[in-house]
Amino acid sequence: MALLLLSLLIVDSNFGTTFAHGIGGRDAAFVAATKGPDLVPFIYLGAKHMVTGYDHLLFIFGVIFFLYRMKDVVIYVTLFSIGHSITLLAGVLLKIEINSYLVDAVIGLSVAYKAFDNLGGFKSIFGVQPNNKVAVGSFGLIHGLGLATKLQALRLNGNGLVPNMLGFNVGVEIGQLIALVVFLVVMLQWRRTASFERFAVAANALILTAGFMLMEYQLAAYFSAGKV
Amino acid sequence: MTIEGQISKPLSAGNMLAITGGAFVAGSLIVFGAILPAEFNWDPLGLGRATGLNRLWAPREVTFDTTTGSVPLAREYPMGFRTDVIEIPLRAGGDSTRGDELEYKVRMRKDATFVYEWSVPGVSNPEEFYFDFHGHTLTAAKEMTVATYKQATGTSANGALTAPFDGVHGWFFQNQSVGPIVVHVKISGFYELIPPGDTGNEAGIIANVPADKAFGEQ
Repeated sequence: MALLLLSLLIVDSNFGTTFAHGIGGRDAAFVAATKGPDLVPFIYLGAKHMVTGYDHLLFIFGVIFFLYRMKDVVIYVTLFSIGHSITLLAGVLLKIEINSYLVDAVIGLSVAYKAFDNLGGFKSIFGVQPNNKVAVGSFGLIHGLGLATKLQALRLNGNGLVPNMLGFNVGVEIGQLIALVVFLVVMLQWRRTASFERFAVAANALILTAGFMLMEYQLAAYFSAGKV
Repeated sequence: MTIEGQISKPLSAGNMLAITGGAFVAGSLIVFGAILPAEFNWDPLGLGRATGLNRLWAPREVTFDTTTGSVPLAREYPMGFRTDVIEIPLRAGGDSTRGDELEYKVRMRKDATFVYEWSVPGVSNPEEFYFDFHGHTLTAAKEMTVATYKQATGTSANGALTAPFDGVHGWFFQNQSVGPIVVHVKISGFYELIPPGDTGNEAGIIANVPADKAFGEQ
């Protein structure tokens, strides 16, 4: 799965435009032209943004990788959702705009963080285990900041802002749920295989690589933004 | 003890360091070796050039309107007047190494002028030879201004060009006929030849030598 995601990343034909993972093209034109509440399209945009957002997806995949009990899956995903909903809504309402490259770099870092944590890296190297619920919730805040920045970059119309933004948020959760179901089905099958533990290490090493890659790519984009 | 959300047998510090280091190196290699050259025209490791990945990068094109603009009818130029004869051999159409097409341009300052004539003897059907007479700015920036003067088929043309901007101006020639041919180009005016290999003369054509020496002594 991680391999699949990574190869998707690499062969994506729209690399340049989708890598920064904003909302682009006709969707952007639609949002800019929208005046007044337009719930369903915004729900769709939110879901689309999530389902096509490999940075968010990789993070969620990392989070649930070793969660064996459904109860834990629900707790962690809810924490992540609460986190990104807070900053998504607050960010748009308070017009907080942070450079999207920097936010995306931290999102890349969050992917690397979770893969590192999954393999027990904090305990074995640093001797301390950070609280995972706090970490996932906090990274949720960062991911939400990214969502808020992307949504605001579209010059949202003030008329109907709140319902449209809430619609987008609902869409994000729907998209996340769709992705989560797919991940869980894959993981449940995969965990039954005898070689799971061995491949699990390799898979997390790949997620770690992808996390570093996303982070460095966004930093490079940030530093070259004025130059190139 | 297993922590929820983690592997049941945590890795040793040594393994963990190796994996993290390896992941960082691999991620960095992809970014610096491939993504930066392809997306940002920035090739710190030289891998973009070595692999041809840097060719994926292209500046955004801004089209220059070639039908407007005016320059004084009488003009003086600081550079000397020159005349060059260029013989460009092209392989038979459909050549697998793309030896059937190339670009030949010269450097010009804005408002500089040349007069030219070119012809391709040996192509019986004028439909089987394509040319694109155009120019563009030389820049490593995000934008590149391009001007298209003429895109057509035909086996000869003569005329004049006054450059609308500083840059490289000239022809893309493509042989679509069944045999190898030689394009004879004659240019006179105020311009500079582009050293073989540089932008505008990537094919490495040498001017003022017979066609069989156009790519150097072989």
